[in-house]
Amino acid sequence: MTTPNVGLLKWARTKSPWLLHFNTGACNGCDIEFVALLTPKYDVERFGVKLVPSPRHADVLVVTGPVTKQCKPRLEMIYQQMPSPKFVVAVGACACSGGIFKDCYGVSGRLDEIIPVDVYIPGCPPKPEAILQGVAMLLEKLKG
Amino acid sequence: MAFDLIFIVRTLVFPGFLFLLMLVLFFDWFERKVAARFQNRMGPTYTGPLGILQPIADYIKLFSKEDITPKQTNKLLFVAAPILAFSLFVFALFYIPIDGSNVVLNSSFEGDLILVLLLVSLANFGIFLSGWASLNPYSGIGATRVLTQFLGYDIPLIILAIGPAFLAKSLSLVTITASQPLPFALLIPWSCVLFVIALQAELEKDPFDIPHAETEIVGGYETEYSGRKLAFIKLSEDFQFLIGAALVTELFLGGSYGPVLFGMPELWHIFWFMVKTIGVVFVLEYVGNVSARLRIDQVVHGNWKLLIPLSILSLALTVIVEPLLRSVIG
Amino acid sequence: MNKFENAVEILKNNLADAIIEFRVPKPRKAYILLKPERHRDAISLLLKHVEDTELSTITGTDLGNEIELNYHMACGGTVTLKNRVSREKPVIRTITDILPGANLYEREVFDLLGVIFDGHPNLKRLMLPDNWPKGQYPLRRDWEPHANQESGSNSEESSQTESAGELDDAGSIINVVMGPQHPVLHEPERFTFKVDGETVVDAEMRLGYVHRGIEKAAERMMYFQDVFLVERICGICNAAHTTCFCQAVEDIGNVETPPRALYLRTIIHELNRVHSHLLLLGVAGHLLGFEALFQHVWRDREPIMDIVERITGNRLMSGFNTIGGVRRDIAPSIVEKARKNVEEVRKRAKFYKTVFEEDLTLRLRTEGVGVLSKSDALKFCVEGPVARGSGIAVDVRKDDPYAAYEEIPFNVICYKECDTWARLMVRAEEVLESLDIIDYALSHIPGGRLRVRVQRKIPEGEAVSRVEAPRGELIHYVKSDGTAYPYRVKVRSPTLANLVAFPEIIRGAYIADIPAVIGSLDPCFSCTDRMVFLDTQNGQRWHWSLDEINNSKNRNGLI
Repeated sequence: MTTPNVGLLKWARTKSPWLLHFNTGACNGCDIEFVALLTPKYDVERFGVKLVPSPRHADVLVVTGPVTKQCKPRLEMIYQQMPSPKFVVAVGACACSGGIFKDCYGVSGRLDEIIPVDVYIPGCPPKPEAILQGVAMLLEKLKG
Repeated sequence: MAFDLIFIVRTLVFPGFLFLLMLVLFFDWFERKVAARFQNRMGPTYTGPLGILQPIADYIKLFSKEDITPKQTNKLLFVAAPILAFSLFVFALFYIPIDGSNVVLNSSFEGDLILVLLLVSLANFGIFLSGWASLNPYSGIGATRVLTQFLGYDIPLIILAIGPAFLAKSLSLVTITASQPLPFALLIPWSCVLFVIALQAELEKDPFDIPHAETEIVGGYETEYSGRKLAFIKLSEDFQFLIGAALVTELFLGGSYGPVLFGMPELWHIFWFMVKTIGVVFVLEYVGNVSARLRIDQVVHGNWKLLIPLSILSLALTVIVEPLLRSVIG
Repeated sequence: MNKFENAVEILKNNLADAIIEFRVPKPRKAYILLKPERHRDAISLLLKHVEDTELSTITGTDLGNEIELNYHMACGGTVTLKNRVSREKPVIRTITDILPGANLYEREVFDLLGVIFDGHPNLKRLMLPDNWPKGQYPLRRDWEPHANQESGSNSEESSQTESAGELDDAGSIINVVMGPQHPVLHEPERFTFKVDGETVVDAEMRLGYVHRGIEKAAERMMYFQDVFLVERICGICNAAHTTCFCQAVEDIGNVETPPRALYLRTIIHELNRVHSHLLLLGVAGHLLGFEALFQHVWRDREPIMDIVERITGNRLMSGFNTIGGVRRDIAPSIVEKARKNVEEVRKRAKFYKTVFEEDLTLRLRTEGVGVLSKSDALKFCVEGPVARGSGIAVDVRKDDPYAAYEEIPFNVICYKECDTWARLMVRAEEVLESLDIIDYALSHIPGGRLRVRVQRKIPEGEAVSRVEAPRGELIHYVKSDGTAYPYRVKVRSPTLANLVAFPEIIRGAYIADIPAVIGSLDPCFSCTDRMVFLDTQNGQRWHWSLDEINNSKNRNGLI
């Protein structure tokens, strides 16, 4: 039920990606590097990226941390609440594959088994430049 | 004659709806750039030259998103409230003289200042309804906050707005702007300063931005909105900002009047209007960016214990000083 | 006679009849095994006669047929009072009446080991979820994670509640997979506030975010691997964790860490502190609605991240320490660059200190808010900047020096105002102090080896290690049984110590003050998750997150 990704609409979508950040049990390393993107040295607002409060306002879901069993239902709900078109970015080793906590039983499984992931940004934690590159890759993907 | 071409062009295009829309989007960009510069950043840069097309991209994207109406909302109000708020704000703008006269020619009348303030209040009620209709605890609370803060600070705002009206001996915005050979900001500066403070609170900007979600997590009354309806709500907020700044321009800075150098006076009026309004926007942004957010009890007590008494005093002072200023105003 | 020697003397003289074993294997570390139930006498003695004594934490260890309880008292060094209870009937008297700060630690041991603290006012679960099966104590040696992860229906004792897609926002759905450990436990409920209108009447905490079953996981990995595990307990103060852990293991193994390594450890430790404090000051600005402050502080934090990256290879997870020393050397060119960056940051830090001292709106939001008196602070055993903001001049680097701190001159920053403002100012000034330490250390790095080769098998023994992490005292307790795998690893991070005092601080304050107060306590980001509010007047319950409070979801307008 989304409008086609052509012309003006495509331009608007690639120039105005609004991000929602969700921590599914991370150690905060990735979160801090992500928040650093908003600060002057990296200034992700240049690309029109904005951090939004509510899933209903967001285009991109940024997930950090291995998905704990507690967080799984909340994660799914947030994903459902986001209006289409929507995308998911996994930041950090834990979000990509579980990281150092992979075999622990409190972890409910890989992120991409729960919701579809569009971009994987590995690192423990990934540098803000790496996250920025991931965002750029996402925008490229949006362009089609 | 009401329905001739000039009317249509003025209302819909220039200086009517389309022009106002462009102005609002421009202010949106200006706000973001100023805030970014204060924060030592660049702000939107790659969407059009200097990022000036960013608000347009934002709104086009919002319009193209899936528009979700959550199950547990009061559907009629949920859909109607944003549109109501938006329309009332635009309507209020039609009574603010931009090129020397209102958008709809000859529609100004004694008391249109009150009308503008009334329309803005009603529009805020619309915003409250949108949060309330979401039937989501956070939205409801955010909505209540907006209303309480707005209604509270409306009182000193109205009291202060009477100052310039008193000096101009008229409640018509057109007349008030025309009666300012010297801007009232210079003649009754105390009124102007207090008015800007009250306005800062009305617009929910720092240090009064408690109800407004400028941080990452909270949505306030906007939480449940997406797509088109969210776009309308955001546009309403932007229009309200323009109205606020325009009011300051009209009441205290002499409106659209300024030196006419060559060519059509109307264009120069619009030019001066825009310059002055942008100046006001800059001042509002400046104050907002160099202060922390006050706590709710501080905001409320500040209003009742400080601002309202001060505005009454300011009005009294204006009345006392009026005979002295009569010679200047004429 | 310094505090530690004083404490030891007092115990030896007055409790001679109660002491079974008495060891002082290293300077400022004493391990005293007491007769059953004599721990209260020992602790009361220390509290009475030694100034500013605090309880660091309580470690429970399953020794097979007994459970050993270690009360780690910080008094100029660490005095560990041990008491043993039988495994069948693990009951011991509480100490919360003499020392309220022991509240959470006793709950933790109860939760994870099943020891009952007789007389505790509120002996409920602390870390594990509410519907964790009874009788399952993860830290007991015979407890194993269940082999079957997803289906797991073999054990009758456990319950599985999987409710995908139906998250009831007003309550909390907790997913428990039966039996196993929870490495990244994320409690849905952190704080429960009882409010009366706008005022907070009481606060209750239900924690678990610090507990990730890392202690259990550490027993499965070798010491060398555990260094990387403990590093990821907290991304922000990772250097403190690795320093602390390596020190504990080096203590047990009697390893002589080379002086060069000690200096390098100190440098990274202090860089960690600077970045953490600046981070917090920025976050405080953000919580208080001062975006510009947040942006500027984080911009000026970048030179520090830059040096850390040049020295260790990564901005956050330094991976620098190892058992026996450090893993990388520092080239002279990097020393030069580091000093330049330090100078740059010093100028900016001075400016931010002035901002916090002079800005009107900041002061309006932080002065007189969240007051914690000095006596209360001692009662609750708070640590770090929280304690120093209430006039208690404790700092592990001065009281119980480790790494290179014995040789480096510095001041302990202390403020007497006891409010949020004081706690923020302590951090602002500590940044400057840390920059001086880094400068000094950079100019005085001794030559020599980077590390000593350490055997995989660590000899039998135990050790306590304390460091001054940015948030306060961090304590690790390691017990070795002679193999390459630790028998017990206990970590108590400073956030937990400070959170004990939080209900006391917040009582009587406005809801709107909560973000400022929490900011001044400086908990981890994940603490900004949802908090539960309970209105005492109408029994309503709702959830807010930290930012939601900050944007004043105040229900009853004050008009």
